[in-house]
Amino acid sequence: MFDTLKDLLVSKLKVAPEQITRDATAEDIDLDSLALVELSLVLQKELGIEITEDELTETETVGDIVRLMNVRAASAR
Amino acid sequence: MTGRAVAVTGLGLVTPAGVGVAENWEAVLAGRPTAADDPALAGNPVRISCRVPDFDAGELLGPRRAHRLDPFVQFALVAAREALADSGLDPATWNGARVGTVFGTADGGPGTVEAQHRVQIEEGGSRVSPLLLPMQLPNMLAGQVAIEYGATGPNLVTATACASGTTALGVAADLLALDRCDTVLAGGAEAMITPLVMSGFAQMGALSLREDAPESASRPFDRDRDGFVAGEGAGVLILERAADARARGAVPYGTILGHGASADAHHITKPPPGADGTEAAVRAALADADLAPREIAHVNAHGTATPLNDLAEGRMLERVLPHRPPVTSTKGVTGHLLGAAGAVEAAYTLLALKARQAPPTANLSRLDPELDIEVPAAPVPLPDGPALSNSFGFGGQNAVLVLSPP
Repeated sequence: MFDTLKDLLVSKLKVAPEQITRDATAEDIDLDSLALVELSLVLQKELGIEITEDELTETETVGDIVRLMNVRAASAR
Repeated sequence: MTGRAVAVTGLGLVTPAGVGVAENWEAVLAGRPTAADDPALAGNPVRISCRVPDFDAGELLGPRRAHRLDPFVQFALVAAREALADSGLDPATWNGARVGTVFGTADGGPGTVEAQHRVQIEEGGSRVSPLLLPMQLPNMLAGQVAIEYGATGPNLVTATACASGTTALGVAADLLALDRCDTVLAGGAEAMITPLVMSGFAQMGALSLREDAPESASRPFDRDRDGFVAGEGAGVLILERAADARARGAVPYGTILGHGASADAHHITKPPPGADGTEAAVRAALADADLAPREIAHVNAHGTATPLNDLAEGRMLERVLPHRPPVTSTKGVTGHLLGAAGAVEAAYTLLALKARQAPPTANLSRLDPELDIEVPAAPVPLPDGPALSNSFGFGGQNAVLVLSPP
């Protein structure tokens, strides 16, 4: 799931791939509140995973987002 | 503006004639047209345009930055970077509170609006990008330039349609004359070559229909002109009070000696029969510069290549400048950059004065026989003297700059 998220961050939000690590914060990869809304839309459209911008705002790192994605993907099955 | 002359100490250009001032001047002096068939306008009533060549925003601004910007702002940021480097000013050390930012644009980011409107229709409003407004709002032009350079002084965008860039330079000069700031990043930017906007222009009958020979479609003042060709891009000028520029040892391209503005108050697109509005703007600019008409050595005309504009503007120039200084419309090369045109053409005018050469009007094969003005088809030498740069917008909004060599 980390690689899936990384691919979407790079292809859709044009984040520099070398910046994306599990420990990176939203600030580290230059994601402000508008970018988190974009990411929420991308996850919904590309993967069918529903995570709101508010939920993304509460995460601290890329790794936290990956864990949330795994939980939502499992519960959607 | 006597005694309050404003120096232009840096130029930056992103236009269909190239990315960079040197590329632009070379193409303009050679009179090399840039209009071409535009595959992105397939299905449109007219598919001729002047695009900025080889513009890779991701490479020039970084992919993440470019992703969040409409092209009109991308063009402006690249031009602003060139202009600032050219000026020798260093944003890392300047007092940002004394740096203003004034830009003109006719339409902001219609391409972003059209793309997101498609999302709204096809996928629903909950899929619309949160960047729709920050990308398309016209004021983001000056906002983004200020963010890039920490320019925290007065910040605004002017909208006078095709006069927007010239209006911006006039307002910027006034901010300096009134001591509201010490430096102004000023200019214009436009990215209106979108299917919807271009359909609108086509339905007005404003565009050239010369699809069998698009490179010769933009032919200002020519007997066989039939409309304008839309261009895109940005022009940025760094302005300082002439005394300040001198004090820091800057070598200016020239000065803004004065400016004038007026409204036709007549019709939304047509010039009035006597072209009174444009004449009033020219005379106001000359008075502001404290110059007599006969002192003008060159005119960079609005010259859109529409039948109505060029006839009305030509007639007005006959009346105001009977000594027949060389008149150029650089739109034969670049097409009509709309809200960016005035800024780009002010830069071309300064380059012409500096080189002491009036560039040719591209595609001029036979001057409109109704006109008695001097429109060179090849470069001509210029005497040492000031020049006019004219811009007239839909809505009847007119703006004119008087520019002089350093």
